[in-house]
Parts: sequence; structure tokens; C-alpha cells
Amino acid sequence: MEQTKTMAPADTEVKEGLTVGPKEGLGAGIIGLGFLALIMPWASGQIATLDFIKSDAFAILTGAIYVIGILVMISGIVVILQKPESET
Amino acid sequence: MATATASVPQIRRRSPRIPLTYVVTLVPVAAALNIVGGYINSILHLPIFLDMIGTAVVAIVLGPWWGALVGVITNTVSAFLTGPIALPFAACNVVGALVWGYGVRNLHMGKTFIRYFILNLLVGLFVTLTAVPIYVFVFGGATGHFSDMMTAAFLAMGQNLIVSVFSSNILVSVADKLIAGFVALAIIEALPANLTFNLELIKAQKMRVILFAVIGVVIGIAVMLVAVALTKPA
Repeated sequence: MEQTKTMAPADTEVKEGLTVGPKEGLGAGIIGLGFLALIMPWASGQIATLDFIKSDAFAILTGAIYVIGILVMISGIVVILQKPESET
Repeated sequence: MATATASVPQIRRRSPRIPLTYVVTLVPVAAALNIVGGYINSILHLPIFLDMIGTAVVAIVLGPWWGALVGVITNTVSAFLTGPIALPFAACNVVGALVWGYGVRNLHMGKTFIRYFILNLLVGLFVTLTAVPIYVFVFGGATGHFSDMMTAAFLAMGQNLIVSVFSSNILVSVADKLIAGFVALAIIEALPANLTFNLELIKAQKMRVILFAVIGVVIGIAVMLVAVALTKPA
């Protein structure tokens, strides 16, 4: 019984499920990309008003969404290729 | 009983899981480090970016996609602090995180000094390849950074806009990512051992060695680019 009480904190957390791995990281990254896509219409409107910018808001938004879209596709490929965290 | 125990399949972890508290602590701190670095850079008008040190730390220690999250947080917060120009470049931060993270954790590029040096060069290259379309198609080639002067110089030599932006950005980006990568290495050494025990990573080098290497690489690339720019097409 004494040995159970003196368990390391990290081990306790593993048992309680308060840990994260690559799968959760991937999810967090995709959420970040989604947030970026959500905020881009506002950002492209703001960028277009700057003096030294020649592009209009639509072109800025198009370019940014293309880049974000490629990153989302890469993350989708990673989801497909992701192996289970524990193997038997 | 012994037979039953033996027949139970053993669970083997492919990658150790990290306590959530480390992630909740490290991700915002890394984003803050990036933002402070970028802010110092914007005030001092340095010829580098300094906004990916935290991204490198998190991508290597926690994983590439946590690093990507740090990149998105960094550029989103920077957009509210210094203007919306930073926001499209979040994609560059994400790409840097992926190359650093997968490079060290999956491709074992952190094993030796040479490998880690090459990894940082690759990060610089991939970030530039992501940044050039954003510079050219979103901003028309200029964002007010120091590298705009180099872009103008390359344009004056007769190169087109894409080549000029690539040439100026690769110079700045390679130097920046080499510095960021090796500063991140020093920070990683200072982190708790239970976060870094599974990483195949070299010890931090003396910064003087790194600076000489950075200066050498940058001068080499600059000479090559100037030579290419001055060569008149047939």
C-alpha cells in the first residue's frame, strides 16, 4: 500500500488520463488552421487598406486561403497516416 | 494464472504521452517568446525575424502540430498588436514547426551537429518557399521588413519580382532559422528532463561557433545570388 501512495506525479497523471499525445496535437493544429481561416476575411480587409498594398481584399483573401488550404490538406494526410498510439 | 497473464497482449507505447499541464504551460509561453522576439525585431529593424524560437522549442519537445498551434497563436496575436500583415505569415510559422518537429522526432535530424544544422537550413528553405507566394501574390513584394531593401537591390539588378523576393528572403530566413534553431536547443536543455528524455538531440553548442557558421552560410548564399543576378540571360 505504501508503494502505491508514493507513486510519481507523472504516473498518476497518466492513470487519470490528463495527458496528451500526437493525436491531440494534430487536432489542436487543425483547430489553429481553422481559426486562421476564420479570421482571414477580416485580416484581408484590413491589409487592403494599407498604403503600400497594391492588391485588393479579394486577392489577398484568395492567396491566404490557398496557403491555409494546402496546410489543411497536409494535416488531413497526416490524419490518414496516423498510427494508433498504442500497438498490441 | 500464469498462462492467462502471458496470453494478454502487451501494450507498447509508440510515443510517450505528455501531461496536459506541460502543454498548457509551454504553448502560451512559447507564443509569448515568439511575439516578444518579433516585437524586438520590429523595433530594432534587424535583418532577421526572431519570431520562431518558441515554435522550434514546442515543435521539437511536444510535437510538430503543437508547434503549428504556437505558430498560429503567435501570428494571430501579433496581428492584433502590430497590424494584420503578420497574419498571412502564420502559414510560414506552421511550415517551420512541421519541418522542425518531424525532422527531429521522425527523421532523427537532431542526432548530430551536422544533421541539426542541415535541418535548420531546410527549415529556412521551406519557410522561404511558403513565404515567397505570400510576399508576391498577397503583398505585391513588400511588407516593410528589412529584406525589402535587398528585394529592391535584386530588382535593380534586372531580376523579376519572384526571384528577387526569393533571393532576399532566403538570405534572411536561413540566418534567422539557424539562430532560432540553436537558441531553441539551449532552451530545450533548460527544460525538465522528463519532457526531453525521449528526444534524440545534440547538446547546445557555443553561440560563437553557430554565429561563424551562420555568417559563412549567409555570405555564401549572398555571393551566389549576386553572381546569378549579375549574369545576363542569353
